[in-house]
Amino acid sequence: MDPYFIVFFIMALGAAIFMITAKDALPSALGLLTVFIALSALYLHLSAPLVAIFQVSIYAGAILVLIVFVIMLLTVPSERFQLFQRNMSYRIMGAVLGALMTALLAIGLKGVKDIIYKREIPEGFGHPHLFGDFLFRDYLLHFEVASVLLLVALIGAIYLSKKKA
Amino acid sequence: MGDFTMFNGLTGYILLASLLFGIGAIGFLTRRNTLILFMCVELMLNAVNLMLVAFSHFRADMAGQVMVLFIYAVAAAEVAVGLAILIALFRHVGSVDVTRFDALRW
Repeated sequence: MDPYFIVFFIMALGAAIFMITAKDALPSALGLLTVFIALSALYLHLSAPLVAIFQVSIYAGAILVLIVFVIMLLTVPSERFQLFQRNMSYRIMGAVLGALMTALLAIGLKGVKDIIYKREIPEGFGHPHLFGDFLFRDYLLHFEVASVLLLVALIGAIYLSKKKA
Repeated sequence: MGDFTMFNGLTGYILLASLLFGIGAIGFLTRRNTLILFMCVELMLNAVNLMLVAFSHFRADMAGQVMVLFIYAVAAAEVAVGLAILIALFRHVGSVDVTRFDALRW
């Protein structure tokens, strides 16, 4: 039992449940922010300090601010609709599919014992130096493709949000 | 390696990631507010990230952490384009209720 893990496990799970049950979009976004922070704390525990920094700066910083801006733009105070899908079959199917998905993933717990072959963490594992070495040597092409993807997304977003004449 | 108990080591992380992914899936399939559907997709992506980082730690392999960076790039692209589509839809329909976006239904 690791108290650090238990604390952030409960924090992430509680915030996620709050997120999907919250009435309005803004409290939901704050629940998502709490999940991001809890996960970044867990990344620190998993010897991934650089990923933890990315988690806070990209997710909690950039993406969540973008979502909150759009909530501000799109929320009409007078608009009131039901929280969940009105159609009963949607709700039942949603709950059943979500539960099945969770069960399917958790069944993978059984085979995990064989996958861990190296428990010893080498010296300097997760250090930004090693991370950059991997990223720019073994994954350079992937990195370039990701930059092209971001460029395409940028152009697409500008085109989509432009007012048609 | 020692004893393999619940809430210890990799098992706990896989459990948390599975639960977060399942919660995200349930939220995506049952909620009606499009913005919350977006956030549920982000939650599912984060569950996958947690799984990658956990496996990266327990296998002592940096590739998992590098893969998380690419997921961040894809998530950023998805949010930028998705929110732009959502704003265009809102201009067109005047609502963020998913059940109102039914022009292409049937």
